[in-house]
Amino acid sequence: MSKFRKEDKKAAPGVNTSSLPDIVFMLLFFFMVATTSKESDPTVKVVQPKGLRTEDMTPYKQRSEIDFLYLGKPLNPGRAAKYKEMGMEYLLFMDNVAQSTPDDLYNVNAIRRWKLDKFESKPPRMSEPIEGVITCVKADEGAPSGMIFDIRKELQEIDALKIAYAVRDNGNI
Amino acid sequence: MAKREIPEINAGSMADIAFLLLIFFLVTTTMDKDQAYVRSIPKRIDVPITDIVEVEKRNIFAIRANFNNDLMVRKELMQNPDDISERVIEFYTKNEKKNDPTNDFPMYSRISMKEIEDNLRAAEAEAEAVENTPNAMQDIIDFKYRQVDEWTNKRNALKLLGKPELPEIHFQAHIRIEVQQATEYKLFAKIQSELEEAIFELRDRAAQDVFGESYGTIQRRYNMDKAKLDKDKMDLLSILYPAKFIEVTPKK
Repeated sequence: MSKFRKEDKKAAPGVNTSSLPDIVFMLLFFFMVATTSKESDPTVKVVQPKGLRTEDMTPYKQRSEIDFLYLGKPLNPGRAAKYKEMGMEYLLFMDNVAQSTPDDLYNVNAIRRWKLDKFESKPPRMSEPIEGVITCVKADEGAPSGMIFDIRKELQEIDALKIAYAVRDNGNI
Repeated sequence: MAKREIPEINAGSMADIAFLLLIFFLVTTTMDKDQAYVRSIPKRIDVPITDIVEVEKRNIFAIRANFNNDLMVRKELMQNPDDISERVIEFYTKNEKKNDPTNDFPMYSRISMKEIEDNLRAAEAEAEAVENTPNAMQDIIDFKYRQVDEWTNKRNALKLLGKPELPEIHFQAHIRIEVQQATEYKLFAKIQSELEEAIFELRDRAAQDVFGESYGTIQRRYNMDKAKLDKDKMDLLSILYPAKFIEVTPKK
């Protein structure tokens, strides 16, 4: 004689997951819209200095009127030691350079070929001449400014007359 | 005929597929915006320059930085790089209201609408004359037409300013950045940042004064919808405070 009914061994109802794909798709679309694709994974370490009143490069990126160049110490310690012996502490990194030897990749002399190759491979609808294509230099805080001017010299030779110095902007926007 | 029910498609793995895509995008994209200072590199000249024009000392604002990251502004040592922007503002505004020949800052010229129009007409006549000359060099024709454009811009600027005269800093006035090979990029970037801040501050003051809105607002609105009026406003501000930076290549 029991006043309480014996609890049924009922299974817990399963959570309805039919809307899960919708939620995930929503997230997916958000990220697709809010982000831009990484142009490359540099093999040099770049800590950008801070700066104010900068210009946003996103519109140029969308029109592919900008190429990125990295300047920093190599991430790979072995490579760092090897180049340091040669007196090169800071190295250049260019993405997708058609290099003949891996050493070429870090040399200022490769800039011309890299820049021209990049320009050739731009979509034909892009009307901007090479003078208008920005070269954005992402340099490490400690990099010597002399290298920036070496890059400028190379760009001048091929009439790519726009350069941008990348910094981290914590101020406006 | 037996009525067969259409079997439902199992959508259980849909979420997995979506997650996979999501993670792919998370990995291959970046959120951070690329921020930078855009500068122009002077065009290469093949012909050696013969007659070099002397630039008056008062028109030069030299910022020097050495291998030790010491800073020198107009031949004076500067401890704190944050002070550069104030000095730049001083450089631009010292003689803005009234020319004082005794100080060491660039002179201003004030030009009236009548003078601008006279100059514009003269420039137009000259451009036409050059164009009609047999076998004139294309470079010279282009140069003459650029001058015409310049005067047209000035006319529009003065119209927008709504004052009897257009103040203009001496055309030679410029800021030069002289760094050495080993100067850290950090300091170089800091100098650029300070210059940009100073120019913004100057143009912002003028924008508040003339249009009653901030320079930042005008810039943002122009970037959004490219209105003609905003373009003219920005042109006026850049005529009032031109950003002329020269970056001197360090010696080896």
